[in-house]
Amino acid sequence: MYRGIGGSAGYGVGKAVVISDVKPEYVVRTITDTDAEIKRYEDAVAVFTEKTRRMADAMKERVGEHNAEILEGHILLLNDPGMEEIIKGTISGGTCAESALESACDMFSSMFMMADDELTKQRATDVADIKLRMLKILTGVPDTNVADVPAGTILVARDLTPSMTAGIIKENVEGIITEVGGKTSHSAILARALEIPAVLSIDGIVDKVTDGMNIAVDGNNGICIIDPTVEEIAEYVGKKREWLVQKETLKVFMGKETVTADGKAVSLYGNIGKPEDAEQVKSCDGEGIGLFRTEFLFMGASQLPSEDQQFEAYRKAAEIMEGKEVIIRTLDVGGDKDIPYLGLAKEDNPFLGFRAVRYCLANEASYRVQLRALLRASAYGHIKIMVPLVTCVDEIRAVKAMVEVIKKEFDAAGIPYDKDIQVGVMIETPAAALIADLLAKEADFFSIGTNDLTQYTMAVDRGNAKVAYLYSAYNPAVLRSMKYIIESANKAGIMVGMCGEAAADPLLIPLLISFGLNEFSVSATSVLATRAVINKWTKEEADLLAEKALSLATEKEVMELLKSSVR
Amino acid sequence: MVSQTVKVINAQGLHMRPAGVLAKEMTKFKSAITLETAGKKINAKSVMLIIAACIKCGAEVTVECEGEDEKEALAKAVELIESGFGE
Repeated sequence: MYRGIGGSAGYGVGKAVVISDVKPEYVVRTITDTDAEIKRYEDAVAVFTEKTRRMADAMKERVGEHNAEILEGHILLLNDPGMEEIIKGTISGGTCAESALESACDMFSSMFMMADDELTKQRATDVADIKLRMLKILTGVPDTNVADVPAGTILVARDLTPSMTAGIIKENVEGIITEVGGKTSHSAILARALEIPAVLSIDGIVDKVTDGMNIAVDGNNGICIIDPTVEEIAEYVGKKREWLVQKETLKVFMGKETVTADGKAVSLYGNIGKPEDAEQVKSCDGEGIGLFRTEFLFMGASQLPSEDQQFEAYRKAAEIMEGKEVIIRTLDVGGDKDIPYLGLAKEDNPFLGFRAVRYCLANEASYRVQLRALLRASAYGHIKIMVPLVTCVDEIRAVKAMVEVIKKEFDAAGIPYDKDIQVGVMIETPAAALIADLLAKEADFFSIGTNDLTQYTMAVDRGNAKVAYLYSAYNPAVLRSMKYIIESANKAGIMVGMCGEAAADPLLIPLLISFGLNEFSVSATSVLATRAVINKWTKEEADLLAEKALSLATEKEVMELLKSSVR
Repeated sequence: MVSQTVKVINAQGLHMRPAGVLAKEMTKFKSAITLETAGKKINAKSVMLIIAACIKCGAEVTVECEGEDEKEALAKAVELIESGFGE
C-alpha cells in the first residue's frame, strides 16, 4: 500500500498504463544530404504542430481555455524564427535533426533557467516538454496516446503534463496516480474536473508499476494498492459503488433551495481561483461565488496584470454567474504566497508581516488598478469587493475612500459601474474578530476566513508538525470568535458568510446555523453535500447543540460532542 | 537600412508578455529586424531570443530594420518599446 495525497475523490480499480517520459534513444549521425534532413525536421514540426493543435482544441472543449493556452504556446515556441534559425543552421553543418533539436532546446532551457524571474524559468519546462515530444516524432517512438487507453485503465505517470492530459477520456480512466503534485497542481485540478479519482505525490511509483498490473486507488484518503488481493479488489469495488450511490443521493438536492429543516433559507456559494471555475460552481448548483481568489492573475504573470487583463477576468466570472453574487477578494499576497516580480523582501515572520491589504495600501498605484478593474467589471454582473486580512477600521476606511475616488472618476468619464457595489471585510484575524461590532458599522458585509482565523487565534503554524494538533476550528476559542463575529454582523444587519473549509464541515454546520450565518461558501464539489447537511437541522436543534458545545472546555470534548451529533 | 536607439521602460524588462507582443508585431513586416543590446544582436521576430537576452528595464536597445518596409517596421518597434507595451 502506498500513501500519497488525495487529489481527486472517489475509488477505482483497474489495470495500469504507465506513461513514460523517458527520452528516446538515437544515434548521432553526420548528414551529407542536409536539404533532405532539413525537410525531415520541417515535416516533424508540421506533425508536432498538427498534433498539438488538435490536442489544444480537444482540451478547450473538455477542460477549458487556460490549459489549452499552454499547448498553443508550445506551437509558438517551436515555430519561433530564432529557434528555427539555430536548428536549421546546425543541420546545414551536417548534424542530424535529433541532435540539432536537442542542443537548441537545451541551450534555451539553460538560458531561461538563468533568468531572474520565475516565469521565464517556467518556460524552461515547456521547452523540455517540446524537446521530448519532438524527439519521439523524429525517432518514430510512439507517444503513449492517453486517448487510446482501454476501459478500466489506471494512469500512472511521473506528472501529467498538459500534452498528456489533453487526451483523457474519462469513461476509460478509473484512476490517476502521479509522483509529483499537490491538491492544487494541474493534475489534481484536471482530475477533479473530470471526476476521476487521483492519488498524487507517491515517490517512485512509475518504477514500481508495469503495464497491466492491477491497481486500486482511493482518492478520498490518498491511498493506492499495487497488485491488490481478491478481497481488496472486492473491497474497493464495493467502496466505489457506495461512493457513486452517495453521489447519486446528493443529486436529489440539485436545483433545490438551501434551507434548514424548519425552512430558513441561507445562501450556498462556491469558492473559485479562476474565472472559468465559476462554470463548475454553476454546474454543481452553487448559488453564487463566495470567494474568488485573485492571486492566479498575479502568479501566472511576469509582471502586474494590466487593468484590462484584470477587468476581463472579473467580468468573465460575473458574466458566467449571470447576475448572481460574485465576491472577489483583492490581492492577498505575502504570507505563504510569494509573487516574485513584486520583489517582496524575505521576512522573519511573513504571516505577521507585509501582506494582503497592508501591501495593497502601501502600493496604492497597483491597488488602484485592481479596484478600477473591479469597478468596471461590476457593470456586467453582481460583484462585491472583499478586503483580506483587515485588523483595524482604518484599513477598510482607506479602501472605501479609494473606491469612492474611482467612482467619481468613472462618473466624470461616463464609465459604467454598479453604483451600489459593496465593499466587505474578510474576518480572519483575532483583531478583526474582537472589533467585529466596530467593523460591522464600516463594512457592507463580512466573510469569515476560518483557515487563517484558526491559525491566528490559536497562534499556531499549521505546517509545523509539532504544534499542528492545535490547529482545529473546534477549539472553544475559535468557536467563540466565530459566534461573536456572526452575532455582530446580524446585529448590524449586514450579511455574514464563511469561506473557509469549516463552512463545509458537517460537524460545524449546525453551530453555524445556530450562530446565524447567512452564507456558506464551499468548494464546488461540496455544494450538494453541504446543502444536504443544512437541510437536516432545525434552528432549535442547532441552538441546543451550540449551547452544549459552547459550555465545553476542550477541543476534544467539543469534537466528541459534534461527532456524536453529526447528521 | 534604418535604425534608432530606444530605452526599455517596462519595470520587468522585456519578459514574456512584451517579448511576445514585440515578436508577433515584427513578424508582420517583411524587413529583417534586429535588436542590439549589450553588444549582442538578436532577431526581433524571435520571442525565444528576446527572452533569452534578458533585456532589463532601463536598457538601451538599438533597433535596426532593413527591407522594403523598414521605415514602418522601425516606427512600430520604437512605438511599442517606448510606450512600455501599453503597461
